[in-house]
Amino acid sequence: MSREPYHELKARERVAAIADPGSFAEILPPPDRVMSPYLPKLGIPVEFDDGLVAGRATLSGKPAYLAAQVGQFVGGSVGEVHSAKLTGLLKAAARDRIPCILLIESGGVRLHEGSSGEIGIAEAIRAVFECRSAGAATIAVIGSDIGAYGGMGILSACCDIRIMTEHGRLGISGPVVIEKWMGKEAYDSSNRALVWKTSGGKTRFLLGDAEVLSDDSSAAVREAIIAAMNAGRHPDLAFIEAQQAGLQERLDRFSGTSDADEIWKSRGVSDLASANLATASEFVKSITKGAK
Amino acid sequence: MSAVLESFFGNSAKGLHVADNLVTGYASVKGREVCVIGTLEGVYIDNRAALRLSAQVIDCIKTKPGVPVVMLVDSAGQEPNRTAEMLGLASCFGHLLTCLQVARESGHKLVTVATGKAIGGAFICYGMFADAIYALDSASVGLMPVEAMSAVTKIPVETLRELSKTLPALEFGAAPFAQLGGVLDVWPAGAGLEAKLDESIASAVLTDDRARLGKERGGRTLAWDVQQRVLSSTAQ
Repeated sequence: MSREPYHELKARERVAAIADPGSFAEILPPPDRVMSPYLPKLGIPVEFDDGLVAGRATLSGKPAYLAAQVGQFVGGSVGEVHSAKLTGLLKAAARDRIPCILLIESGGVRLHEGSSGEIGIAEAIRAVFECRSAGAATIAVIGSDIGAYGGMGILSACCDIRIMTEHGRLGISGPVVIEKWMGKEAYDSSNRALVWKTSGGKTRFLLGDAEVLSDDSSAAVREAIIAAMNAGRHPDLAFIEAQQAGLQERLDRFSGTSDADEIWKSRGVSDLASANLATASEFVKSITKGAK
Repeated sequence: MSAVLESFFGNSAKGLHVADNLVTGYASVKGREVCVIGTLEGVYIDNRAALRLSAQVIDCIKTKPGVPVVMLVDSAGQEPNRTAEMLGLASCFGHLLTCLQVARESGHKLVTVATGKAIGGAFICYGMFADAIYALDSASVGLMPVEAMSAVTKIPVETLRELSKTLPALEFGAAPFAQLGGVLDVWPAGAGLEAKLDESIASAVLTDDRARLGKERGGRTLAWDVQQRVLSSTAQ
């Protein structure tokens, strides 16, 4: 299994690296030409998969549905066809009660398709919960620079498990939008260190927004996915009460904090400089040690 | 008391808790008790706001078995704020949706009315998750107006305006949103809203019919067929 950096791979390469060799069977593949009806009217080139590579595969011999967003195509954005493929895949996973793995790389709704993509993401979110009710694990993998933003950030937060790498980012409003809104003094979107401290994998892992922080290799990501395939949890009252208490505690604990370093320290990071440079596995190990 | 709240809940709106343009609590609709979560005056939704709404949903599940949840939406969006993002705004929204799903599975009907701004993430994070979704004709519903779309995509606003005449997805407002299947119906603002809300609670169904409606109404022609093709091509 390959050790190449996960974040450098393209969607089809990711699918090939994550699935058992030769097991991926694509649904509505490019020859079917299921594509955006909007982009040609706006003079924008289409892709015959509309930026979502979706299909069925096995991982370690176990069946799963698997989809990867194509970040190079309109920012991995979600339009009418893209969202319908995603929703269909999630509904299939719920029907068959097998895991649905989403390799996410998306800024959210495709603006060029207006409210159609917005409703499409809302439908996909309903379908995520169909899976969760059926006990089919929903696994969001966020390991690219584009990350998961906007509606795809919300959808990711609805899944059972989030696996992130240090390259991944998870949020709703992106740094450029916030900079425009609050000013460059409040959020300089060109400051990559600040952007990743705000929304990157390590901070999300420390706060519990991502359950797993994986090294940035397709082999490590694959291993983390296989370990999560049985992690489907049907949310019930006890589950949401615990979540409510945890999120409330976090807000109260860090209200008035704008520096992510404070969060890192309070969550067990003793040496900020080395933690910044640590790989995911080194980072996780140092936290676990600190907690003892 | 807010005129919007009075139009749906009459005098019982007095029992609702309104603070920072967030509405929580219980009221009645034509004598039927309902739980209410809502936003007013276009307020942005931040982490704390989302948790207040989710706390209300949890209270309803625990103390009022089967009582329908009415969601009113008048929010310009999620709070675009670095600290909010850092502290996990996405998780707060995901949690609010999870609470609504637990309510649904516990037998609470979920009905939404977009009363003012119902834009982007603020609509996705609770209102669009309902069993039945409606909008007032005066509501600003959709992803964004063509001017904003043009500013981000760099496509000339005239081009978008022209295309929006035949593509309701690009047009902003309640009526085009209904053509896409995003809302079941558009209600005239004003009188008779309490009765309409009452009927909509009674008729709410658990299936997500938006894609099928979008096809029937001609506004979103591909979504339903593509969903069905994925499902049929994977059927054992």
